[in-house]
Amino acid sequence: MPEIPSSAIESSRERPRIGVYVCHCGTNIAGIVDVRAIVEFAAKLPGVVVSRDYKYMCSDPGQALIQQDIAEHHLNRVIVASCSPLLHEATFRRVLSRAGLNAFLLQMVNIREHVSWVHLNQREATEKTKDLVRAAVRRVSLHKPLQKRRVSINPHVLVVGGGIAGIHAALTLAEAGKQVYLVEREPTIGGHMAKFDKTFPTLDCAACILTPKMTAVGSHPRIHLWTYSEVVRVEGYVGNYKVKVRRKPRYVIEDLCLGCQECVTACVYKEAKNPDEFNLGLSKRKPVYLPFPQAVPQKVVIDPQTCIQFKSGKCKKTCVEACGDRKAIDFTQKETIEDIEVGTIILATGFKTFDPVRNPYYGYGRYANVYTSLEVERLINASGPTAGEIVLRDGGQPKAVGIIHCVGSRDANTNRWCSKVCCMYSLKLAHLIKERTGAEVYNFYIDMRTPGKGYEEFYDRLLDEGVHFVRGRVAEVSDWATHPSEKGRLVIRVEDTLAAFVRRIPVDMVVLSVGMEPQPDAQDVRRLFNISCSTEGWFLERHPKLAPVSTFTEGVYIAGACQGPKDIPDSVAQAGAAAAEAMALIDAQFVELEPYTAFISEDQCSGCKTCIPLCPYQAISYMEEKKKAAINEVLCKGCGTCVAGCPSGSIQQNFFEDEEIFEEIEGVLAYA
Amino acid sequence: MELKRTVKFEADRDPEFARWISHTVGGERIRHCLQCGLCSGSCPLSLYMDYTPRRLMHLSREGFKEEVLSSSSIWLCTACYACMVECPKKINITHLMYALKQRAIEERFYPKRFPIPVMAQQFSRMVRGSGRITESWLIVRVFLRTAIWRLLGMSGLGLRLFRAGRMTLKPEKIERRAEIISMLDSVAATRKELAL
Repeated sequence: MPEIPSSAIESSRERPRIGVYVCHCGTNIAGIVDVRAIVEFAAKLPGVVVSRDYKYMCSDPGQALIQQDIAEHHLNRVIVASCSPLLHEATFRRVLSRAGLNAFLLQMVNIREHVSWVHLNQREATEKTKDLVRAAVRRVSLHKPLQKRRVSINPHVLVVGGGIAGIHAALTLAEAGKQVYLVEREPTIGGHMAKFDKTFPTLDCAACILTPKMTAVGSHPRIHLWTYSEVVRVEGYVGNYKVKVRRKPRYVIEDLCLGCQECVTACVYKEAKNPDEFNLGLSKRKPVYLPFPQAVPQKVVIDPQTCIQFKSGKCKKTCVEACGDRKAIDFTQKETIEDIEVGTIILATGFKTFDPVRNPYYGYGRYANVYTSLEVERLINASGPTAGEIVLRDGGQPKAVGIIHCVGSRDANTNRWCSKVCCMYSLKLAHLIKERTGAEVYNFYIDMRTPGKGYEEFYDRLLDEGVHFVRGRVAEVSDWATHPSEKGRLVIRVEDTLAAFVRRIPVDMVVLSVGMEPQPDAQDVRRLFNISCSTEGWFLERHPKLAPVSTFTEGVYIAGACQGPKDIPDSVAQAGAAAAEAMALIDAQFVELEPYTAFISEDQCSGCKTCIPLCPYQAISYMEEKKKAAINEVLCKGCGTCVAGCPSGSIQQNFFEDEEIFEEIEGVLAYA
Repeated sequence: MELKRTVKFEADRDPEFARWISHTVGGERIRHCLQCGLCSGSCPLSLYMDYTPRRLMHLSREGFKEEVLSSSSIWLCTACYACMVECPKKINITHLMYALKQRAIEERFYPKRFPIPVMAQQFSRMVRGSGRITESWLIVRVFLRTAIWRLLGMSGLGLRLFRAGRMTLKPEKIERRAEIISMLDSVAATRKELAL
């Protein structure tokens, strides 16, 4: 860490010579605050040498004005009364540095967000500004020169989640030469996209565009692909994270398994009996199985819940026989914990679909022919349980199909948000079902939401294909016939709000277009990585517009549907953005941290150890020989918990020392 | 108070009608309708209509034939083309209204003595018969079939028009009337072909 030059320390000890600069911000501030009055008021405060106003302080001439004054009037403290320090603190700190002053001898007063934008009365706003400026003048006199800390960045990246977002982020980083750890909970990567049949609006096959990327991940020399694994612990800080990954046993040695699946054929179960998770239970699998034909890695898994060897220990182990010399099957495999060190983390943990059992009036789980949209994706997929034939659970082919939009979306009883993708995938399913079966297809929608390149055009195409569009939220799906034509069918009751009457429409198959929800363990994951969630449970970005993939934890980025409902192009775009953000940090090689760390006055510390368990970052240790606590400056995040907790008041925090805060408070309260 | 069933069953729909409308002249783009309601908003007559043009579009393409053909809206349309000029999906709404009028006349879906369809029928019959319209006789024929007393009320206006030479009782005719008949027949045949 670079030392603070002794001349800087010397100059800060001199009698304060303060410059006060009040910004008009056009009319943003000057429209409500009497800027001239503030300038005159500040000029009379003790220690103030110069007091000026300017239309835009942040502009080049505004900055030059401050720089010139520092030189001419030998200022050693600067106050800028303008907007939030979030916006321009860095700008004015650079001005001080250019003029040869330590950047931390600056204090900003936020008279825009805190005053002019929130007050209507000019006199009161001006008085409040005076109080805030007086507080800053008293505080800044006590400022000490500080130096930003630099920490180096480990160039390895952890990507959590192997859906399309995680895959894209991992590949982008690996192609740029970074080492990537891709951790996926399921036995294969691919996520939801691998389950889809076609993608909207181009109708290209999901597998055809996804599997090349999956294979690229599987064979990339710089990607460590850990499937069937979960992150269990994260420690450290930006650039230097220590992560523990639990690798669940698949009872198959990955390095030895060739993916030939002879063990699957040889399994003592001649018929597959267990519900196949990948096909959402629409087909069966054996205890030893490959999740789906293009799974990456191409390694089988043994499910200990259903395998006879695990249940009774008395299996003939025909699978081991079939594997032969390859010896890839290992019933004794145990879970392992891997320790890795990375500099940055990208979370791409995805979403879950809404469970329509929560809307009992649609009959899901009660009527065999009510399906979720994801089930229908598998049903019409050529590699799905029916090889792409739309065969209903009761064996028939549908003559009429109702697709119900907004199931678990836009509903205060379940989820209030719009899931964004359902309109488009419902149109896609309508097209595919009509194409494959020639059935009458009805879409029941509240609003048709198709923003996106080529999306509205796709809707127009569907309109022309003669699919029925009935505007109204379906009230009920039932098998109660009130007309001969409804006998033995599912009847959808809905108000056709465009025709302005209620309709009863008998169909043979109901598709529930289920919305997107945060993963059930999103709260655990956010705690693990120390990030925030919105009230709905989506991972929270640092800024909804200007920092959409950053989080409030430096070095942790989010991509894809874990941040909110998103379609494939948006997820991929975010994944690319997150990879670029990570690379920007890696290529800078170091990151500068604010010097707001806590420090201990050793002679006052009693060694009571109160602070040690309080620190969320494990930055405080106990020096046995001195019997005092010590703070690791690199680990300290400047949260201030130990400062407040120390019973003897021997911990202080840079930039927030007690006397600085007290002076500021007194300044606010000292009415003129 | 008389209570009627208002819920519609699928059996109330006539899919043939929906097919017919999208194959008729003017109906080619009806399926593209977004139900934005611009047609109803721009229509100067919609303030008297039982079903607005937007609702007629939806009911037609869904095949609710009775509702559509018994609607007063198709008769109120004056063919001002305001809806058609602005329609964001370029649906030929005015032409569609003509198609609906024709179908309503064919299927006798209008109240007895309702002057507008009678006028349309008499108009086309006169063109077919003589190749031209004689306004005086057209008015007489329409009122004889709808409201004969209205003829008396309008006699003053008629007399003034006669005196000014704007109307005549002499029937107007063209030569080679057989040709216009064969033209009209061929149009009718084409229309039948187009509608399946």
